[in-house]
Amino acid sequence: MKTLGRTDLPVKQQDAIRSAIRWEVFTIGYTIVTIGVIALVLGGSQAMKTAWIEDMLSLIPQMSFLLALVFIRREPTRAFPFGLHRTMGVGHLVAGVALLVVGGTLAVEAIGGLLRQEHPAIGTVVVFGRTVWLGWFMIAVMSLIVIGPFFYGHAKAKLAPVLHNKVLYADADMAKADWTTTVASIVGVAGIGLGIWWLDGAAALFISLGIMWDGFRNARAAVLDLIDQRARTHDDKHPHPLIDRIVADLEMEPWVDRAAVRMRDMGQVFHVEAFVVPRRRKIAVADIERARAMVADLDWKMQDVSIIVTPSLPDEAVGREG
Amino acid sequence: MTIPTDPNGTLERVVESGQLRVGASPADSALSIDDGEVSGPLAELVEEFADEYDAEVDWTVGGEEMLVQGLEDGDLDLAVGDMTDASPWTSRASATRAYTQLPGLEGRSTVMFLPMGENRMQAALEAFLDKEVGG
Repeated sequence: MKTLGRTDLPVKQQDAIRSAIRWEVFTIGYTIVTIGVIALVLGGSQAMKTAWIEDMLSLIPQMSFLLALVFIRREPTRAFPFGLHRTMGVGHLVAGVALLVVGGTLAVEAIGGLLRQEHPAIGTVVVFGRTVWLGWFMIAVMSLIVIGPFFYGHAKAKLAPVLHNKVLYADADMAKADWTTTVASIVGVAGIGLGIWWLDGAAALFISLGIMWDGFRNARAAVLDLIDQRARTHDDKHPHPLIDRIVADLEMEPWVDRAAVRMRDMGQVFHVEAFVVPRRRKIAVADIERARAMVADLDWKMQDVSIIVTPSLPDEAVGREG
Repeated sequence: MTIPTDPNGTLERVVESGQLRVGASPADSALSIDDGEVSGPLAELVEEFADEYDAEVDWTVGGEEMLVQGLEDGDLDLAVGDMTDASPWTSRASATRAYTQLPGLEGRSTVMFLPMGENRMQAALEAFLDKEVGG
């Protein structure tokens, strides 16, 4: 993949996107296997069931990332003059809302079970002629699958900032925290084994609150970008440093007196509206075009750059003082 | 302490009191009830299980709903009859794995009911049934 819409990707980003696709495909395969394996040992543990459903939910961001990639690479058209970059944000929002709703349902289920004092039942299975408590297999399976997310979580966390992709970042972040879910389900099953029946419901509640929190964070991040908040870093921690950079570079131009920027995140690339107050009343079209090209060349993420010549800077645009 | 254990100590109580409280609902020739007397090969199998723990069976005869209620209220340790793995009661009682070779009920996927979450008791019963009639 060499282009995203109108944007030519540098080699580093081309490699990162290929790598991200491979990791996402691997993760989906791995997750489908774990879903199948957990299904084999699923018993009466609410914590196991919750962890199992969480595994299924974790496929949504991965699939929406791959699906959105198909669309965001398309060139802008008359009908879609800004390209289809927002599909990444839509996928992000869908994933967030799904996590929030299902997490909420599971939390209610866990609380209900605790209030009704339902004692979870786990029976036995026959393996090689011996009767073995199924709980041991649950613990064994969960101890094995705890490992995977560490690898793909960290791999994706490295790619997300390179690609400035928030879906990938959120996906990696959830994978890195996935061990807490797995450990909680082991605690729940161990609790059942030890006769501490409520530990299972408590673990299920813990896991489902984690799912809800992920859902809330993802939905919030997606909505903030979809309603065009000022572009922020891939982890949403800071305003994007390119904003200050553009202002500084524009103000270096001899014909520019002051500059300010409105920049929004389209999901992978940025839209920049740069307002400039010229020093003199007359300016050359070539100067404006050079300034536009300079800003566009600052970073591969500059999808659309408009230079707007204006007598005064709008308040909401970010100027030199931040 | 054994794992799994019973949160309400069912199996321990059976061993200590020497009494296994079993609910019975009629199941053809496998379990018949005459004047409150429970007999048949399924009943004998349950008595053998009790025997493993030096306990006697204290039978209670009733319909399935009554037996499930008994399990929920802690008045029964086990319920047997012609319940299958498609039974609608599994949200209120814990069903064993299905056994197809229970005496008198061959070919049916028969389950027995236990109080919810008494997992040591369930493991003990399933181990016994695996040994006696196969999985």
